[in-house]
Amino acid sequence: MKNAFRFFFVVLLLVVVSTPAFSQTPVKGGSLMVCQPAEPPGLDPTANTAAAIDRVVYANIYEGLVKVDSGGGFIPGLANGWTISADGLVYTFNLRKGVVFHDGEAFDAAVAKWNLERAAVPENGNPHPEYFNGIEAIQTPDNHTLVVRLKSVDALFIAHMAEGDAVMLPMQGAGDAKSNPIGTGPFKFVKWVQGDRVEMARFDGYWNPFLPYLDRVTFRFIGDPAAQIAALKAGDIDVIGSIAAPESAMMLAKDKRFKVYAGTTTGEVIMSTNNKAAPFDNLLVRRAMAHAIDRQAVVDLVMFGYGTPIGSHWSPSTPYYEDLTGRFPYDPDKARALLKEAGYPDGFSATIKLPAIYSYSRRAGEVIADMLSKVGIDLTIEIVEWGQWIDRIFKKKEYQLTMIGHVEAWDIGIYAKPDYYFQYDSQEFRDAYANALKAPDEAGKSKWFGRCQEIIADDAVNGFLFSAPSLPVMKVGVMGWWENYPTIALDCTAVWWKQ
Amino acid sequence: MTAYLMKKGISLTAVLFLVSLTVFSVLFVLPGDPAQIILGINASPETLAALRARLGLDQPFWVQYGGWIGSLLKGTGGHSITYDTAVFDLISSRLAVTGPLALMAMAIAVALALPLGIFAARHQNRPGDAAVMAGTQVGLAVPEFWLGILLMLLFSVHWGVFTAGGFPGWGEDFRGSLKALFLPALALGLIRAAILTRLTRSSMLEVLREDYVRTARAKGLKERTVVYGHALKNALIPVLTIFGLQMGQLLAGAIIIENVFTLPGLGRLVFQAIGQRDLPVVREVVLFMAAAVVIVNFLVDLSYAAVDPRIRLDGQ
Repeated sequence: MKNAFRFFFVVLLLVVVSTPAFSQTPVKGGSLMVCQPAEPPGLDPTANTAAAIDRVVYANIYEGLVKVDSGGGFIPGLANGWTISADGLVYTFNLRKGVVFHDGEAFDAAVAKWNLERAAVPENGNPHPEYFNGIEAIQTPDNHTLVVRLKSVDALFIAHMAEGDAVMLPMQGAGDAKSNPIGTGPFKFVKWVQGDRVEMARFDGYWNPFLPYLDRVTFRFIGDPAAQIAALKAGDIDVIGSIAAPESAMMLAKDKRFKVYAGTTTGEVIMSTNNKAAPFDNLLVRRAMAHAIDRQAVVDLVMFGYGTPIGSHWSPSTPYYEDLTGRFPYDPDKARALLKEAGYPDGFSATIKLPAIYSYSRRAGEVIADMLSKVGIDLTIEIVEWGQWIDRIFKKKEYQLTMIGHVEAWDIGIYAKPDYYFQYDSQEFRDAYANALKAPDEAGKSKWFGRCQEIIADDAVNGFLFSAPSLPVMKVGVMGWWENYPTIALDCTAVWWKQ
Repeated sequence: MTAYLMKKGISLTAVLFLVSLTVFSVLFVLPGDPAQIILGINASPETLAALRARLGLDQPFWVQYGGWIGSLLKGTGGHSITYDTAVFDLISSRLAVTGPLALMAMAIAVALALPLGIFAARHQNRPGDAAVMAGTQVGLAVPEFWLGILLMLLFSVHWGVFTAGGFPGWGEDFRGSLKALFLPALALGLIRAAILTRLTRSSMLEVLREDYVRTARAKGLKERTVVYGHALKNALIPVLTIFGLQMGQLLAGAIIIENVFTLPGLGRLVFQAIGQRDLPVVREVVLFMAAAVVIVNFLVDLSYAAVDPRIRLDGQ
């Protein structure tokens, strides 16, 4: 009795603490129609990195040991909590009790071990086996304890355990995960009308008895931006997860029926630069370009003011962010002087290849071409199809400049690979990154991840432009939708309808 | 007739063989590694290699092509990478949307084009004719997707009488499904109607100048009988030809309108499949569309004989 009382007291306290005074208490019931532009290629986040998959299933149908909360912090998912040994090598996860999959299978330490071991084998199709093959051994002293021993310290281990690649599948139903996902999440999969929508319904056996609030969630796939807005205005959909055209966000924000959040995401839009192609192999040239770009103007012209200027390859919504936007302030005179020093007193001509599928990329390309022309750099714009981009730019590195958004969080490690398409080769960065990965504590992580950001900013490896805005648009009655997207997900767990 | 059918059968097989070889070659040389596009640009090299091996992408051209043709002849066909189901099942479920959409669009087009075309021909160079011609000019100039969005803004956003895209499914909500197809069918149909109206008019004008029409009039037949009983049948042959071409085009070319209205049809399937490099789906849908065009044209050939008994199909 005393325990029950204490439990209710804690719950009450949580509700009071987590609810701002002006908002109402969440109400149960109702259904939500969410628009997501791209249809996911399969529904298994452990088999493909496509963001569309995570946006539909992550935290809704599937959960991992660790979750990301709306503020970007790591919170307990299927693990109640975890401890890390002093040497940073052993992670002990205390798994939640009484967790079942939607098909009734129990989730326990054996299932978790099987999932982590399965993900480490490339033949099983996980696109990121490197997240898992640093694991030396996994022990299960009892049903609810998972002891993971790493081969070496990995500062991103918990971050990776919170990614879609590390969600827990049931041992029986894993084979059909692409078309019939079975997870432990608050919603269970109902059906996928291919080409149109994915439907899910509340899972009554969810481990948190207070969640979810909604009875049904449907993700509809509408690619055309004009059609998305028509569907929202006609009342066919309730939320557009992320609006593609920022100019329409402005228009919808003025409409009393809707609200728009201009939060942050994990994505960075950058002008990728081939560091081995002349004249961009010259540090002075890259720095001159960094001075020639007015980042706030790029945000204003390309994103209609939505988005945050960045100075390095790190989003403000990711922990350990360092604001380096002041490193190369907009200064065309300085840019011209640097170009002269580099041996290009009259500037030079170059080509920028823009992927046709991303409208922000084409717009930003035009704006940057104009800015660079003012310091004597004459850019020819070439629009390329996505397959061509993958082939010629990403794989064969046949390019000088391009423009693309990198959406994954914690992906600064790509600068440690000299054969990555930037072709950036710096021992100093590789050392700093290795130190960051080996950092055993918060202070160490903060120091070395900060150092990583500084090194690539100083080397002006790429044109660091802005962090993409989240821009969800919804009916005013939709409550609890995430304002920021610190991970790739459209988490509907705590969403509810205001009566 | 048998000889004719055999001849058509052989030409269909030849066309399908050439289409299969062409589509396979084009997809083979298409830039962009399918495995990389499927797994994304951050995928590890080991997983990429494993997927390439699983998809058979590491095999030489003829081995891959032969394997595909073999699976088609066995009747199993390929397997979609995206949806993890047999491509044949995907095609049949998507056809349940695109087929009715194309039929509805053509029905709308014909229902508008024939009366308007005949009306315009009979009122040649008078205000009524000018109005119809001006209308069809607009119809020819307006792109489908734009008309689709306009209709959506008017009927769904402004009046709220139709849903703005999406498709509930025939089994779940028959009336709702029919309603969901109406606006896209109207967008497709209006534009087809513009082409068919102009064609009906010019064909009708030509026929109305023929001697037998003058004779019919001289006999004292009513104008109605002259136009509908004598002239129309003869004017229909060129209209039928274009109708056939348009029908094939509609089956294949509803791509854009299906994307605007997010209908789970064949066009949207192939459009997405190209973007996601779901090669088995692209190949088989293209092959299916080619077959559909050939078969529809064959049916049109048959209908010539029904309209005009002077036309014999066996060439005797």
